[in-house]
This record gives sequence, structure tokens and C-alpha cells, in this order.
Amino acid sequence: MTISIDHDLLGAIGGVPRPDVDVVVDARDVNKWFGRLHVLKGVSLQVKRQETVVVIGPSGSGKTTFIRCVNHLEKIQSGRIFVNGHLIGYREAPAGRRMLPIVGRRSGPAGAMKLVEDKEKNIAQQRQEIGMVFQRFNLFPHMTALENIIEAPLQVRSMARDDAVVMGRALLERVGLAAKEKVYPNQLSGGQQQRVAIARALAMKPALMLFDEPTSALDPEMIGEVLEVMKELAREGMTMIVVSHEMGFAREVANRVVMMDDGVVVEEGTPDQIFSAPTQERTKAFLSKIL
Amino acid sequence: MTASVLSRFGTRRGFLAGCLILVALIVSGCSSRTTIEPQVFWDSIFHPSPALVNGIGLTLVISVVAQALGVILGVFAAIAKMAKFFPFRFAANIYVWFFRGTPLLVQLMFFYYGFPAAGIFKWPAVVVGPVAILPEVLAGIVILGINEGAYMAEIVRAGILSVDPGQTEASKSLGMTYGQTMSRIVLPQAARVIIPPLGNEFNNMLKTTSLLTVVSVLELYNTTSVAAGHSYRFFELFGAAAIWYLAMTTIWGVVQSWIERRFSRGSGTSQTGAAGPRNVGFAARFMSLRAPIEQ
Repeated sequence: MTISIDHDLLGAIGGVPRPDVDVVVDARDVNKWFGRLHVLKGVSLQVKRQETVVVIGPSGSGKTTFIRCVNHLEKIQSGRIFVNGHLIGYREAPAGRRMLPIVGRRSGPAGAMKLVEDKEKNIAQQRQEIGMVFQRFNLFPHMTALENIIEAPLQVRSMARDDAVVMGRALLERVGLAAKEKVYPNQLSGGQQQRVAIARALAMKPALMLFDEPTSALDPEMIGEVLEVMKELAREGMTMIVVSHEMGFAREVANRVVMMDDGVVVEEGTPDQIFSAPTQERTKAFLSKIL
Repeated sequence: MTASVLSRFGTRRGFLAGCLILVALIVSGCSSRTTIEPQVFWDSIFHPSPALVNGIGLTLVISVVAQALGVILGVFAAIAKMAKFFPFRFAANIYVWFFRGTPLLVQLMFFYYGFPAAGIFKWPAVVVGPVAILPEVLAGIVILGINEGAYMAEIVRAGILSVDPGQTEASKSLGMTYGQTMSRIVLPQAARVIIPPLGNEFNNMLKTTSLLTVVSVLELYNTTSVAAGHSYRFFELFGAAAIWYLAMTTIWGVVQSWIERRFSRGSGTSQTGAAGPRNVGFAARFMSLRAPIEQ
């Protein structure tokens, strides 16, 4: 990835991270509706390179929806999300120009420019830079641990098989599962599956990792091993957004904690600020319940 | 009738009783005028005429090719049915609606005789390498395949819907395109759900080829019918034809259970990753009751 690349050209298709951009995630006034339900009410959030941001908040507050919007697993109706300077999932089109009724769905209240969903291929390309770890692992059950990891590098990056296998083994080693290379996901414990899932996301060498409640589906004794891998990642300087209820992890690893409730960012600050001296009532109420 | 006795008595005793009843029926039904020539029956099985061999071969080849065509069409139709783009959905729905809603026999007559009669389209003879395909065989394969595709569409769609949406999300989040997600992640998992009914479909296909006799394809049924028309040995010749069909469907049963085992990779808990009735012999599976999926 260190060869010189024409960033402007690649930027146009939304690939390759741009090291000159210090802000990895820049979400501006993101609004999302599920039908009539307004789940994200103008969420803005910036994440700098190498920063770990933990998003906390009660269930239904929109935190999971928000990080799913960051890699366009969910559509947004207004606002902009940039990752490495690329507008995610959409391209700007002059408002007022009407699309065909079949193709152009209503794209919400629009300013001078409106969002038009990008081509599927471009979105896929953007997602290569954004790793995601799911609450329920979502490993591919018909593939072994190693196959899970090398699948995307082989298919998406057209990596040579031998190189991919070497890289995949290194990643398995890194998450402490070198011995489980040939094992299918259903023979792994939840914690092991989640570690393979993290390795799978890392195999695409993402510029950003999104964690959607990565320990919520785990038995208590398995939470530690997964958090350990995540701490290691944070220490190595990975840019991470973590939706989690693990306050210990937030306190120890997060550079910033973001409190969300009812579709808005209520408060953000360092872990010390948020946990010791929250300024907002809703944060206090939430923390008193959870701690 | 023998089946109910079988299930009531269980295994060996039931089978014995069934045989006895069958023999009794035949003996009591046979007056002194019965004329069965066992040699004709045995010859059709152990020394089939070249025409019969040809017919059996044709039945097999047509079944395999038509089924393959049906699966391919079914996958495309299933994907089209779930497309966001309305015209795709519409076209797929019309296709399934028409071919499931009309009898195969009508489709055969309509497309094979009706189209040329109206001057719309004449089925050509096609030469593929060293093999010349007769127009009626080509028509048979194509029409059977298209008809089958309509049924496969629903089976494939059910298979795709059975795959956890999280799989698609994981695949997308890794930067895989829709095509890659479908072919590498979703369809291989859907296959586990698709293959048992697909086996049923192919079993049906082997037998349904007999309808091609109306477009004068000389497959197993038609060959037998012609021979019986000459010799009037209906009992012996159609008895033998039944045995041939049974042989094909039985062998397919074995192949199917093997395929099912292969495609259940990663779904069980055994150390090899294989699941399903792995250690169950074919005979045991044969005896087990399985609800057939009706068309």
C-alpha cells in the first residue's frame, strides 16, 4: 500500500485511504428515518486518525444505527458522512433535477445539493477501507476460520492465494487462534468466533474499524479475550468506533466517549469527564443505571 | 396397500407379508388364460435392444440437461424476483406464473407444434461437436428446462431467504459486490436448503421426460410403447420400463444423499465439519419416512 498512488483519481472512486487527511470519520448532521421513526436526529461526529471512540447510550438511542450508516449498511436521508474525505454511499447531485420515478426515491429534505445513492460498485469499494465487527459475528459458516479471513482479500483485492494464506495465518496468530485455522465457525466458542471476525475485518487492512456491540452476544467469561484483542488494536493505532456497554473498556482504551440518546449526541468527552463528571442529566441517569 | 401393511408390521415381517400378498393377488387374478412371457421381461432388463438402450440414454441425458437448465434459470428468476428494479421482478413473476400455471403437456404442444404451425419459430436440428441433436429433442430439453426453471425459482428463492441477512451484511462490509456476495456467500449456504427439494425435482424430471413422447422423442417410455405396440407384450415391456425408471431414480437417491452430505459442510457439529445423515446407510435412509414435496 506504500506505492505512490494518484489519490485524486482514486479519490473519485472512493478507494485508498489518504494519509494527509487527519480526520478519518466526519459525520455532519446525519438524519435517518425508519419509516416515520426518526432514529438519527442530526448526529455529528468526528473521529481523528488513531483515535478510539466508544459510543455509549441506552438501547434504541441510535448508536448501532449510526455506525451502520458509516459503512452504508443503512441509508441516510440527509447529512453527510465522510470517511477519509470520501462521501460514503452517496454522490451529490443538484437538487431540483428529478430522477425517474422508479429510480429516484424521495431523498428527504434537501438543500442546494441532494444525495443520490452511489453505484453499488463504488460503495463496495468504499467499504473495503472500513472494517466492521458485528454483535453476532456473522462468520461464513461454510468456510473454515482461515477461509473466512482470506475470502475478501482473494475476491475483492485479487490477492494471490499463497500471500493471502500467509497473511491469514499471521492474523489468526495475532488474535491467538493459530491452531484453529482449519476449524469451522460452529466448532468455535463465541469469543473465538468474534476474534476470527476481527481478523477477517483486519485482513482488508482497513483505515477504520467499526465495532457493533462486539461483546454483547458473548458469555461473560469470553468477553475478556475479545476486549484484549481490541485493546491491542487500539494500542497499535487503529482508528476505531466502538459501540459498547463495556464501561471498563471505555475507561481504559477510549480517547473519547460519546453518549447518545434518542437519536442525538448528548455529550462527548474524555472517559474521565464522562464517567466522573457528566454534565448532562441524561448521561448521569444512564450511567447510574449501568455502573 | 402393501405399503400400509409394511409400515404396520415393521421391517422384515412386513416385507415378507407384502410379498405373499402380491403373489396371492397375481395368482388369484390369473386365470388359466394368462400369458406372461417372462423371457421378454428379463431380456428387456438384461439384454435391452439397442433402441431401448438409446431410449434410456436419451431419458438420462434429457433429464440432466433440462434440470441443469432449470437450475440456472431458477437462480436467475429467483434473483430477479427479489430485485429492487421493478421490471425484473415483473418479468420473473410473469415467467413463473405462466409456466407453473399451465400443464407441461400444453406447453410442449404449444411450443413444439404451435409455434412452427403459426410460422413463428421452427425448432432446428443442432450439431454440438460429434452429436447431432434432433429438433424434437432440443425442443424437449428447452421446454422441460424452462418449465423446471419456474419451479426452481421458488425453491431457490426460499433457499436464499433462509440465509441469515447478517451474512450479506458481513460480506458487504468486507467490500464484496452483490455478485460476489451472492455467488460466494449466499448461494453456497442456500444450497443446503435448495438441494433436498432439488433432488425431488430431478427425480420428477426423470419420470416427466416420458411426456416427451407427445413430441415424438424416442426416450424410454416412447421406445417401450412402440415395442409394445408391435408385440402386444404390454405387461412384460412396461414392467421392464418401470424397473428401468426405478433403477434411475434409486441411483439418483444414492447420489443425492452424497451431495446433501457434501453441502452440509459447516452446519453440523462434527469435527470434520460434515453434518447430516453421515453414518446412515442408504438402506436405512430408504426405509425412513420422508414427506415428498409435491409440485
